Amino acid sequence: MTITSTPTAASPRSVRERLLRRGREQAQADRAVLVLHDVTKTYPNGKTALQDVDLVIPEGDFVFLVGPSGAGKSTLIKLLIRDELASHGQVVLDGQDLARLPRRAVPKVRRKIGIVFQDFKLLPTKSVWENVAFALEVTGTPRRKIRPAVDRVLALVGLTAQREQVPSQLSGGEQQRTAIARALVHDPRLIIADEPTGNLDPLISWEIIQLLLRINELGVTVMMATHDADVVTALRKRVVALEEGRVIRDEVGGAYHRVD
Amino acid sequence: MIGFVAFSIRRAWQGFWRNALMSLAATATMVLMLVLLAGFWIIQTGLLSALDFTEQKVEVVANIDLDATPADIAGLEARIRAMPEVTGVTFVSKDEALARFQASMKAQGREDLTKYLDTNPLTASEEVKLKDPGFSKTVADALRKEPAVRNVLDTKDTAQNVKTVTDILRTAGTVILVVIGVIVLFIIVNTIRLAVFARSEEIEIMRLVGASDAFIRWPFVFEGAMVGLFGAAITLTGLYLLSEPIASFMVDFFRVLPLSFGSLANQLILIVTAAGLGLGILGSWVSVRTYLIR
Repeated sequence: MTITSTPTAASPRSVRERLLRRGREQAQADRAVLVLHDVTKTYPNGKTALQDVDLVIPEGDFVFLVGPSGAGKSTLIKLLIRDELASHGQVVLDGQDLARLPRRAVPKVRRKIGIVFQDFKLLPTKSVWENVAFALEVTGTPRRKIRPAVDRVLALVGLTAQREQVPSQLSGGEQQRTAIARALVHDPRLIIADEPTGNLDPLISWEIIQLLLRINELGVTVMMATHDADVVTALRKRVVALEEGRVIRDEVGGAYHRVD
Repeated sequence: MIGFVAFSIRRAWQGFWRNALMSLAATATMVLMLVLLAGFWIIQTGLLSALDFTEQKVEVVANIDLDATPADIAGLEARIRAMPEVTGVTFVSKDEALARFQASMKAQGREDLTKYLDTNPLTASEEVKLKDPGFSKTVADALRKEPAVRNVLDTKDTAQNVKTVTDILRTAGTVILVVIGVIVLFIIVNTIRLAVFARSEEIEIMRLVGASDAFIRWPFVFEGAMVGLFGAAITLTGLYLLSEPIASFMVDFFRVLPLSFGSLANQLILIVTAAGLGLGILGSWVSVRTYLIR
């Protein structure tokens, strides 16, 4: 399961070894939800946000993305939803190279990803049920399919009782669970949670983490960006650390900080 | 497809009322702009009619020799009518000329001095209407060569002056109308941009959950169209309520006949509705573009 992240610095390996390694990566890539190959992102203002990033996330994985602010996490997420295009290298989501995707196909690819944010991004005038249904409505889902799908995900996150309430009547944890339900309602291949516990107290944070773990057990790949060292260290999942746009560490069962 | 249109219209309606203050601000701006546009259109139309009227006044008058026979006069009239620059010619007999003179003296409140005269001192004349005031010199010169014509009242200078002034006013009116149109466009686009910006969070969510561009764009386009239609309706209602004073103002000020006022009303309905709808749609189309997939 270990995935290597290799800076491009020339390493004294034989050609055969390199070919073998590529073959192994290829095999993993074939059943990967997400593959980043040699990705560099330089913004028009000249700032390089990501450099030579290689990352393979297999189906069903649970990955923590850690690193200081400005390390490139946000840029990485923007590349995944094709809000930005990589300056160099490939971003392949569920077998599709995002750079080669025609504009029209972008929305469909985005439906394969469910995103959860620190600030929830719920519509304040809509109820919990409407907020979740909104994701289906705006993607042209027929109404008869919306009802059962929304009811199902609300049951999954445990918000059936609060379905008629608006976000301001909910606790922070309930709001985040609404956002998770909305992210799930499209049956995504990948859930990206960008600091989902950043605004929540530790107890509620654990509740959210438990929910994400449960969703992961149901087969959905989860990538969670976080600053919460306790959570990362306690769970011993795969940890990808970014710093100044590079992957500086990628280990399974890792802690938040490098253990030297 | 029907589902999509229904969705867009429903969302446009919700969007309009959910953000009522912003929508009303946009509608109010729209009304102001349309009133401005309609006002200038009315003034421009009045001005043009007044100019046409003034131009019609430019004519060449040929006084006829006292000893010309009716046959001479008939021949002269036929030749004038045959000129390509001429739209019409009216014969004014000696008696008619006297009657007109007396009437105009009376209208000005002056004493009618002709009653002390034994005979009618005025000459008969041909009043020649021109297709364009610019032709006055050509026609006057041709008339001077006629044997039956005693002299020609040459209004050449007046005609030229009128032509210069009307040309300037026409050009200036068109330029002002175009300038106002552009200003209106910018203001409306900006107002709608604000309304769209107030909902950027919603658009952001739509993008993230994978809404296609059409689903993001069309509700706003419909909403813009709604702002335009409401604005046009309010403007036209206002103009209708004020149509009496506007009509009397136009008749007093520009001397426009009620007939042309009827066609002006039709023009206004068309222009105000088209401008409102067009500006609303264009404004939202441009404003929402920033949020679509690059």
